[in-house]
Amino acid sequence: MHIPDGYLSPQTYIPLFGVFISAAAIAIKKVKNEVSARNIPYLGMAAAFSFIIMMFNLPVPGGTTGHAVGSAVIAIIFGPWAAMLAVSVALIIQALIFGDGGITAIGANCFNMAVFMPFTAYYIFKLFSKNTSGKSRVSFAAFISGYLSLVMAAILTAGELGIQPLIASTPDGKALYCPYDLSIAVPAMAIEHMLLFGIVEGIITAIIVNYFLKTEPTLIYAFRNRDKNK
Amino acid sequence: MENKIPSYLLQPVNDQPEFQKAKRARLSFLDKTIMNTASAVKSIYVQAENASKENVIQRINPYVKLIVMIYSIFIISIVSHLEAQLIITIFIFSLFIIARLKIFRVYKKIFFLATIFGFIVVLPASLNIITPGKIIFNIITINKPLHFWIYTIPQNIGFTENGFKVVSLIFLRIFNSVSFAMLIVFTTSFPSFIKSFKILGVPDTFMMIISLAYKYIFILSRIIEETYFALKSRLSGNIKNSRIRELVSGRIFFIFKKSMLIYENTYYAMVSRGYQGKVLLHSRKKLSSIDFVALIIIVILGIWIIYL
Repeated sequence: MHIPDGYLSPQTYIPLFGVFISAAAIAIKKVKNEVSARNIPYLGMAAAFSFIIMMFNLPVPGGTTGHAVGSAVIAIIFGPWAAMLAVSVALIIQALIFGDGGITAIGANCFNMAVFMPFTAYYIFKLFSKNTSGKSRVSFAAFISGYLSLVMAAILTAGELGIQPLIASTPDGKALYCPYDLSIAVPAMAIEHMLLFGIVEGIITAIIVNYFLKTEPTLIYAFRNRDKNK
Repeated sequence: MENKIPSYLLQPVNDQPEFQKAKRARLSFLDKTIMNTASAVKSIYVQAENASKENVIQRINPYVKLIVMIYSIFIISIVSHLEAQLIITIFIFSLFIIARLKIFRVYKKIFFLATIFGFIVVLPASLNIITPGKIIFNIITINKPLHFWIYTIPQNIGFTENGFKVVSLIFLRIFNSVSFAMLIVFTTSFPSFIKSFKILGVPDTFMMIISLAYKYIFILSRIIEETYFALKSRLSGNIKNSRIRELVSGRIFFIFKKSMLIYENTYYAMVSRGYQGKVLLHSRKKLSSIDFVALIIIVILGIWIIYL
């Protein structure tokens, strides 16, 4: 899911950077209103937690272990606006210190995994949990939100990669950036995320949300927010 | 003689621990998590260690380094000649030598990232199925071209000259981008590098969040490492997957509670030092002659590379 440097043309990464910056500016305002003066240490903690969540490996059906992208579970626990900032900070640190994801692709990666994915996951969770706190329904909603948000984000990423041969090629047809067009990038990303990574993300999201629900449900933003709206 | 031993002590031991009943041994999740956290802590240490060295590149103002990094990575992303990319590779390597970084350690990581994303993932693009052109190495020949839906498989499948050029260009571009970013990040203290984002108009609040998150990650990584080593030392035999999931989600919850505690403490520490919700980071340092020289060299080289 992390796009490295060299895959996106400036025609793609510059506008996506602009979209991410606008979204982040709105998110800072929104979160400031929600958590007042505490917002900076709170968001710092949320960002570190979302970074840390990616480190935990869990056994998944099929005899392997996997780790989550974490955007879905972070959105359910912290809310979509805080998740946007938290995950984007985690992605920026990953790109700068660990080399995961490119510097030119920071805007695109943040847009896919920190803007699009948390919002999709949060609203899918709200839709499927249907205002109940029943364990099985919440587990199902968390699984679906993790699964669908990751698959949709993967298709979005594939779209960004797949348009590169169309917008940036030499006259003799040589690709200058990602060489795979939409007919290859979209099925490849969609199939692997539908059959493997989406299931891992869904299971991990469900397990973590379930544990929070069992232990201290008031910590889950999606439930706190719902109780406030009642 | 009458047996006075309580009956429950004479019963065969049946209630073995849960982990001994399961069939499969699964401890790889522990090792992988410990490995991930250890690598995160190590990267932070290595970065801090390199940034504290007193060499020419380390002395350049972080604001200049940020501008140079953005400019150079932009140039790398638009240059589409292999020769130009090779010149950039040599130039960056010479900068690594000047910076006196541990070249083998840093380049091992750069090669790893560039090989995965710039070679393995892109290699199929050198086939004529993806990049049409003159075949220079034929792999297989089928009876006739195959067509299904939007896909066409040609009669001869092989590597093309154009395909190799595409793969080489993407490999070098990724290699150069990653190495230049690492050169800058590894020669600058992370907090001062983040502060230099101010020159791009990034709000102080956002920079403060990144700085705090960076410190929290370090603390939390250490906590995970320690708790996982403790967990590993207590586990033996086989453990059920459901039990593992319970254990890991418990650890995640514990980390969350620990993070909340650290955040509360940080907040109160900030309040006691006069924090009222507004952040104002220190003003920038003045530019020295070495900063101007670095800036001019990079700008001229960048323009020369574009027109090469």
